Amino acid sequence: MEIPPEARAQWPYAPRHAQVNGWRMHYIDEGEGDPVVLLHGNPTWGYLYRDVIPPLLQAGRRVIVPDMIGFGLSEKPTRETAHSLDGHAANLTALMRQLDLTRITLVCHDWGGPTGLAFAMSNVARMRALVVMSTWAWPLPPAEFHTRLFPWRMMHAPVVGPYLLGRHNVLAGRGVYLSVVDREKFRSSAQAVYEAVLPDPATRLLTWVWPRWIPIDAGARALARFEWLERELSKSTLPAMIIWGREDEVFDAATFSARFKQLLPHAEGPHLVTGRHFLQEDSGAEIATLVNGFMDRLEVARQGKGL
Amino acid sequence: MSDVIVCPAPDLVEKRLELVLVEDRIGHYPEFRDFFIHTFELDRVGLAIPGYLTAPSGLTYALVFIGRSGEAFPSGLEIYAIVDALEPIGDAVLDTDLWAILKWMINGVGGEWKLDDLEATGRLYRIPALRTAAR
Repeated sequence: MEIPPEARAQWPYAPRHAQVNGWRMHYIDEGEGDPVVLLHGNPTWGYLYRDVIPPLLQAGRRVIVPDMIGFGLSEKPTRETAHSLDGHAANLTALMRQLDLTRITLVCHDWGGPTGLAFAMSNVARMRALVVMSTWAWPLPPAEFHTRLFPWRMMHAPVVGPYLLGRHNVLAGRGVYLSVVDREKFRSSAQAVYEAVLPDPATRLLTWVWPRWIPIDAGARALARFEWLERELSKSTLPAMIIWGREDEVFDAATFSARFKQLLPHAEGPHLVTGRHFLQEDSGAEIATLVNGFMDRLEVARQGKGL
Repeated sequence: MSDVIVCPAPDLVEKRLELVLVEDRIGHYPEFRDFFIHTFELDRVGLAIPGYLTAPSGLTYALVFIGRSGEAFPSGLEIYAIVDALEPIGDAVLDTDLWAILKWMINGVGGEWKLDDLEATGRLYRIPALRTAAR
């Protein structure tokens, strides 16, 4: 898939592709220095980070932004069974190993959290630091939002999901629109870009498959993986930072950022910025400033230790 | 109560089955699978024949149930519009019929699954068929 014309002004990056687990993954790889890997979730793509990337590049970072298989400019499988939490973590692992990245600072949002953190916890030697935003990494309890029938469970219910999210693309369009603070800005500058990369029902499969992977009871498919993730994270000593949207209604800041702080007590933050679930849409530059400051402090600490 | 009605197998001479919706995981919430088993006697019929529905437009739809080894039957569902063999199907008609089929399904699943919640979800996401149906 090509870059949508509406996106080109804010997405001047050369498209790159890698074969991961048999799928064609799109990513960008810009700049030089220690790598920062920016991970999106459902239903976005790398474009979500368009305001975060330039300040990171200007600060001398190497910035890598993959599009999850099934989203953005990456290949989009058309069978539900092609998607699993472990499979998506393995896709990311394949890319990180092909690029032979080390000293990675991983910035995770939404499903970029469980997939990215699963990569991080199984490839600790490649990691330098973690940044988490509006995501989760434990089995239960889920967010209150995800247990509610209206609108969340109804939206992706059997047959309803393929109709609403498939035929009508409601998550990439109005769904993201409802989960930003400055909706008018989003409508005029970004909504069409998110919709354009999911042009027909077959390309939108993952928008209703991911919601079905969120554990909401003890019978959930990914429960064991989330239990492992929580266990590994609680043992992790990787430097970490927590950034959250003040207005987040999906993973509310009070509950979810606090839970990450409990898991990673050494983490900086939580730093609250203007934003609902898609906080990058409202506070991209501020997020970049936080990440740059965090990485600068890590570098100073490293030099102080003579490493 | 519903303008969607379970009907017998139609005559398929000079007709075409047009695939309009695919659900790979009908048992994501098991009560949905149970509803289709009960409605179309799938415990007895199995894979032998599709289920058929007539929708508000007058079109008949075939519900083809999918089985997967290792999973309860049915694991998935394909919905086909039965249309004149050489004629296209109008998107607005199809969309309104599918919305009516969703309402019929949610009404049949029952329990915590309420029509009000489906309609509220449709309104939240501005589904055109909801406006058509309200006229």
